[in-house]
Amino acid sequence: MSSESSPHTEQIVLLLTRHQEPLFRYIFSLVACEADARDILQETSLALYRKFDAYDAARPFLPWAYRFAYLQVQKHREKAARSPLLFFSEDVMDLLAQDRERMEPELDQRLQLLDGCLGKLTPQDKELVTSRYAMRQGAEEMMQRFAMSRRTLFRNLELLRQRLHECVTRQLQSEGLS
Amino acid sequence: MNLESLIHAKLDGEITPELHAQLEVLLRDDWQARRLYLELADQQARLLQQPAVNTGRLKSSSVAGRTIRFRTSALIAAAAAIVLLALVVRPQPLAGTEASSNGVAMVSQTLDAEFAETTTRSGDTLIPGTIKLAKGLAQIEFFSGAAVLIEGKGMIEVISAWEARCVSGRFRVHVPPAAKGFLMHAPGMKLEDLGTEFALNVQDQNSAVHVFEGEVIAHTDQAPASLKEGMTLGQTSADFLPISELQSLVKQREARRFADWQEWSQQARTDPRLIAYYTFKHWPDDRWDRLINNFTEPRNPRRAGGAVGAQWTQGRWPEKEALEFKRPGDRVRLNLDGTYPALTLACWVKVDSVDKKYNSLLLTDGYESGEPHWQIHEDGSLMFSIIYRPDGDETGGRWNQIYYSKPVFTPDSLGRWHHIAVTYDNQSGEVIQYFDGREVGREVSELHQPGRPVVFGPCEIGNWGLPTSGHQFPIRNLNGAIDEFAISGAVLDPSEISTLFQAGKPE
Repeated sequence: MSSESSPHTEQIVLLLTRHQEPLFRYIFSLVACEADARDILQETSLALYRKFDAYDAARPFLPWAYRFAYLQVQKHREKAARSPLLFFSEDVMDLLAQDRERMEPELDQRLQLLDGCLGKLTPQDKELVTSRYAMRQGAEEMMQRFAMSRRTLFRNLELLRQRLHECVTRQLQSEGLS
Repeated sequence: MNLESLIHAKLDGEITPELHAQLEVLLRDDWQARRLYLELADQQARLLQQPAVNTGRLKSSSVAGRTIRFRTSALIAAAAAIVLLALVVRPQPLAGTEASSNGVAMVSQTLDAEFAETTTRSGDTLIPGTIKLAKGLAQIEFFSGAAVLIEGKGMIEVISAWEARCVSGRFRVHVPPAAKGFLMHAPGMKLEDLGTEFALNVQDQNSAVHVFEGEVIAHTDQAPASLKEGMTLGQTSADFLPISELQSLVKQREARRFADWQEWSQQARTDPRLIAYYTFKHWPDDRWDRLINNFTEPRNPRRAGGAVGAQWTQGRWPEKEALEFKRPGDRVRLNLDGTYPALTLACWVKVDSVDKKYNSLLLTDGYESGEPHWQIHEDGSLMFSIIYRPDGDETGGRWNQIYYSKPVFTPDSLGRWHHIAVTYDNQSGEVIQYFDGREVGREVSELHQPGRPVVFGPCEIGNWGLPTSGHQFPIRNLNGAIDEFAISGAVLDPSEISTLFQAGKPE
């Protein structure tokens, strides 16, 4: 790589920056683990950079990038000899990836509504969200902070996310109705 | 576990390989399951990335924006009310009065372990100090994330969440990346861990270390040495401790205990004194998923229970199911016919928290003459009561016979499986209460009059259904799980109660 950035480099960096979030979401939906998803996102970015010559600028970037991400997820799973049982098998991943591309417009719409639902959380739930997602506190730390057992903590997180999901679904339906 | 819980467990990284396999089957077969998964995964990804969340600056909840109109059924409103109630009554950790602990590690697993000088058990929190194991296997998990397995006669000094000293014995140490930098002292060496797994044998002040994975920096009187996978430092005559041992032995023991209990239970359910016997067996083909079968032999399906709200969870052993009571609405509805001269109530319960004034075990709807109520009082004691109100009495006189045991649910006994029982004889009036097979209370009420019958009728486990009129709706749901409940129409004697405990104890 030359030290001076070529227009080519600028273009890919711009595209990658703009699409970090959807790429992360795509990868995350296949591995469901943040650390893995971040690693894979990096590997995908690198692969995209290397293969950027093959990119046809007339076509949308994301579907092209998703194919690389999918391959990187597969590679990552093969490397992760430690707990292969906690990865989806290839056929399930394939189904998920296909379904997800079909659902993407709806998923994007859901995310816009999610912000509003987050705003409606009770102070207790907000504290949970802040602690888990903003401060990235671990389970032990949260168990101490909220004086909860591990089971209760994860149960509460589950209920919280379930409420958010229901809130979004309701809003989606009411938008459709109104 | 239902689909939703499986998905959330997956998203939280709290899923076991077995449950993961279950989730995969559901996702493979059902596009609607995949749809739900994808929606929840996308939501999780957003929460992990969302700037508003990430900066911790969530807007206050008063923002209404625009009015959204949608039809809400009464059912949804009721469910929402219950959820809200759950949030309101959840105990708040108060600043200044927050409970604290100086623990730095915990004993996560034991197998036939005997500790010298202490009565350490699996689940106990450890403060800095020396742990002496006389025999068996014990796994200590440091709050930093490092884990140490000790076998046989051994001694380890827990210094902090990040530091320990192996004094003697065979050890196996696992340090995940998060605990990188964990320091292990041993005679003649200091091992600095760079995220790895190694074994350490210490005998007669001699240490030997073998690295199975990753890297360890060994500080001895020589220059620091890097030990990598497969390398050994020092001499030892004993084998290094294999890791598979504890897990597989624990699994074997659990399977054995479960099989023993099943065998015993097959026999016990034929006891003619039983009114009802619930083992909380989850029927995969029960389409409503709410049946709490009565397993008395001969069968009496009319006394089967119905779960409301409460969710399935793991019981005393991995193969055994239990029902978890968490929310104010959670309960198991029963209707038990008949009148009885005596009773015995016995159950296996894991209480997560005694967080209300009264925490329900088994209560009849309302509180009429001859009806028993069995609860945990806020001080952690078992509380049994039975009322005999003369016909037509509206004065609310003293008719309620209440019996308390000594406190048994303390921080030490919370979150673990315990056997509790109570017996009542309508001739002698004697109430005896038991905790883990041992008597913890024995009393006759001054209000006792011999010969008045015991009745149940509509009643429930884990909550109080229909309080008498004039009362506000009290929150009495149990916070915990139950995985076996036996109701008899006679008094079981102390040796029989002890047998119930011995036959069903988890370890």
